[in-house]
Amino acid sequence: MILVIAEQQRGKLNRATWETIVGAQQLDASAITVLVPGASAASVAGELAAANVREVLTVEDAALDPYTPDGFTAALQDAIAQLKPEYVLLPHTYQTRDFAPKLAARLDRAIVTDVTAIKTGTETSFVRPMFQGKLTADVVPQGPAPHFVTFQIGAYRVDQVAKGSAPAPIRALSVTVDPSTIRQQPEAPFQQAKAAVDLSQAERIVSVGRGIKEQANIRIAEELATALGAELAASRPICDSGWLPMERQVGSSGQTVAPKLYLALGISGAIQHLVGMKGSNTIVAVNKDPDAPIFEIADYGIVGDLFEVVPAIIAALKG
Amino acid sequence: MSTLIFWLLFVGFVGVFAAQVATRVRLIAAAPNTFDVDDPGFRVGRWLADVLFQRKTILERPIAGLAHAFVFWGFVAFAGYTSVEFLYGLGIVDLTQAAWFHAYRVAVVPFATAVLAGILYLLVRRAVVRPIALGTHVSLESIVIALFIATLMVTYLLAFRLEEGSTAAVVNWWVHMLVILGFLALIPASKHFHLVLSPVTVFLKSKELGNLPNLDFEKEQVGLETLNDLGSKSVLDAFTCVECGRCQVNCPAWGAGKELNPKAIILQTQDALLAGSRDRKLGEIYSEKVLWQCTTCGACENQCPVGIEHLPILIGSRRGLVSNGDAPAYLGAMYNNLERRSNIWGLGYDQRTKFVQSAELETFDPAKHDVLVWLGCAGSFDADFQKSLKSLFSILRARRVAFGVLAKERCTGDPAKRTGNEYMYQELATANIDDLKSAGVKKIVTSCPHCVKTIGADYAKFGYQVEIVHSSVFVNELLQDAGTRGASGPSEAITYHDPCYLGRYAGKTDEPRALLTRFGADLREPERNRDNPYCCGAGGGLLFADKEEEPGSRISDVRFKQLQATGANTVVTACPFCSIMLKGAQASAGADTQFVDLMTYVDGKLRAIG
Repeated sequence: MILVIAEQQRGKLNRATWETIVGAQQLDASAITVLVPGASAASVAGELAAANVREVLTVEDAALDPYTPDGFTAALQDAIAQLKPEYVLLPHTYQTRDFAPKLAARLDRAIVTDVTAIKTGTETSFVRPMFQGKLTADVVPQGPAPHFVTFQIGAYRVDQVAKGSAPAPIRALSVTVDPSTIRQQPEAPFQQAKAAVDLSQAERIVSVGRGIKEQANIRIAEELATALGAELAASRPICDSGWLPMERQVGSSGQTVAPKLYLALGISGAIQHLVGMKGSNTIVAVNKDPDAPIFEIADYGIVGDLFEVVPAIIAALKG
Repeated sequence: MSTLIFWLLFVGFVGVFAAQVATRVRLIAAAPNTFDVDDPGFRVGRWLADVLFQRKTILERPIAGLAHAFVFWGFVAFAGYTSVEFLYGLGIVDLTQAAWFHAYRVAVVPFATAVLAGILYLLVRRAVVRPIALGTHVSLESIVIALFIATLMVTYLLAFRLEEGSTAAVVNWWVHMLVILGFLALIPASKHFHLVLSPVTVFLKSKELGNLPNLDFEKEQVGLETLNDLGSKSVLDAFTCVECGRCQVNCPAWGAGKELNPKAIILQTQDALLAGSRDRKLGEIYSEKVLWQCTTCGACENQCPVGIEHLPILIGSRRGLVSNGDAPAYLGAMYNNLERRSNIWGLGYDQRTKFVQSAELETFDPAKHDVLVWLGCAGSFDADFQKSLKSLFSILRARRVAFGVLAKERCTGDPAKRTGNEYMYQELATANIDDLKSAGVKKIVTSCPHCVKTIGADYAKFGYQVEIVHSSVFVNELLQDAGTRGASGPSEAITYHDPCYLGRYAGKTDEPRALLTRFGADLREPERNRDNPYCCGAGGGLLFADKEEEPGSRISDVRFKQLQATGANTVVTACPFCSIMLKGAQASAGADTQFVDLMTYVDGKLRAIG
């Protein structure tokens, strides 16, 4: 039996749970049980029952609300003792990282974390990155069952989940936890005040540097950003001059961004700017200076006057 | 009768003096011992220069400094006279009639005149001119003491004019002696305590600018958290401060309108120590925000005429904050980069490898290579600074210097050390030391002045000694006997920006200039140059700071304006971080100033000569 531990908060399912179910289905689609821990588990159980799984269990114990690593460890330890799974699969979320190593250590069982793929064959192995993704390792967990596996977010696509012909049965599972073993007392959750503009979430960014020459010219970049559905950003000198607000600054002393498209207009590419946007999927640079360092990391480079290039791009997008 | 009265007054005033001194000495003695007297020869030499010859006092402010020197030398000359008069007044022994004493009295007259002239100048300066360095309000006590000193001199000179034994002469003598006693009682609680302490403080000042001994984690040292943690030298410093404000006016943060004022840091320490509550948090006393505004340029410590060391307090307090997780957010990101990727940018080392390959660099081998070139974080990753390094390689190759690089480098730990993340610094440093040792490196050349300081001075605290020189020094020496002297083309106006860690910390100011003038540059010195440059604003982790967190202007903007004011359109830099900051300031100002790294400049000239 494969036990998938779902993650939810106040009745809202963490989508990474679906990815973990896809992983479980690759391992053995016929023997999956999904366990939903925590208050309001029942409200997401119905949603999960649509997947091709054998059973969905809810565990709503006082020890699980609010979340504490001690409470989760104790409750899941009891659930695992009752269910005796071969594998326990979890999404590699912050919460999992918090309690899963402790749970595996408590049971003295192997855990493989941050897994990106499963290799089945004579022996089932789990692929995980090492040395910051420079190498991947195929790990075969040793020792008695259950083996714990956590899946990297995005390892599987949610749309690959196999749905069942009929909703899976839902059952409440009760566990016993001694409340005195819970040592943590969480304070009320809070969210840190977000910057007014969160560039880190932007899919496309049009970024301007000193090559824009004067503040009035920023509207050209703005126009391009609108045409692309992109956020407007800038390098330090632009924000220092007050041409754009500080919160739009990208770089080591501004925000770090990783959009799908980063369009750099008149940015020379000084290192303190590059480190803030090097993670972008596709970097397109427009600069007059063919020796500008931005071209070192750009996927596409246009050596030319941005005042000619940008209107042409806008025209092409509109046309 | 008069002897008895004099005795009573003497005991009373000396008692007041002693009681105040005792309070301060107790505070110094209670602090963890950080006194160090290594290399006494150097210390004696420096003591003679800075105390006896008033070097630091005079160099920065020649007129006020000389006026002060007159007063100081006068005090020294008067020591014998005052002692004899006290022995006489106390009825112990009367030497006033000795022939030698008459000669001595006459010999002191020019000194008395000089003291009088000096103190009147200083009095006018303080009361009327009121330079900002002396504070916003006129210190009444300083005026009183200046008048005391003037009175002492006037009464001294007057004694020659009055008939011995006359009532006027007796009154004159009493006025003189009472002023001395009054002065004595005022000394310990005022800035004039420096009369007593500064000779000691100057002697005890560290040989090394910005000396920060390693924390010993085995002993659970975490840096300075409360007043209790301040070392004995820092407590001594607090009571030595003469409030001249040299630290203040030379501080680039203060100059750019930020809240940090090194003088205030020392005086806040003094006030807090005297107020008693020794478990007060330093972050409260100085304000955490202020502690993060220091670029560690070292100007305060280097300019201080009385031997105060500001950096151990500023960086020591940062260590305490970092140990408690109270570093600003922008440093958190930089620490992550250092922890995960061992460099400040957080870039992958494959990029360094690419550069090493493209520049055709060999891995260091002591059998084949004379020197190791240390690339540093900038050299490893910053495409802009790599141009400068390529120039250095080209010079070295043309001069047939066999050099290699390490297969792997980490950040030296400079930004971690200066921002108080000692644990991370030690991890990086010990790993680098292991690599340098096992590679058999004897001599290192680098273009990063921060790496010079860290590998040269900070790594020595792990017992690792290696010769490390900045590329400007190495290349200047290479060209000494090369016969390349001579201008090529018309001379161009150039201004050179001294990096703090090269000009001030390493004291290398002639070599970069020699490289420029060798090729006929018309050198235009900016204000604040040589061993007292104005910082670019990058040091102490501030390269990564957000502008929003800083009040005032950017330090780099202030420095850029100073460089622009020379009228030279070309600015030569010799540090990757100065280059980043000043180019940023230039872009913000929309100026067309050209920035050239020193090595690129030299290589270009050598190629032009052929």
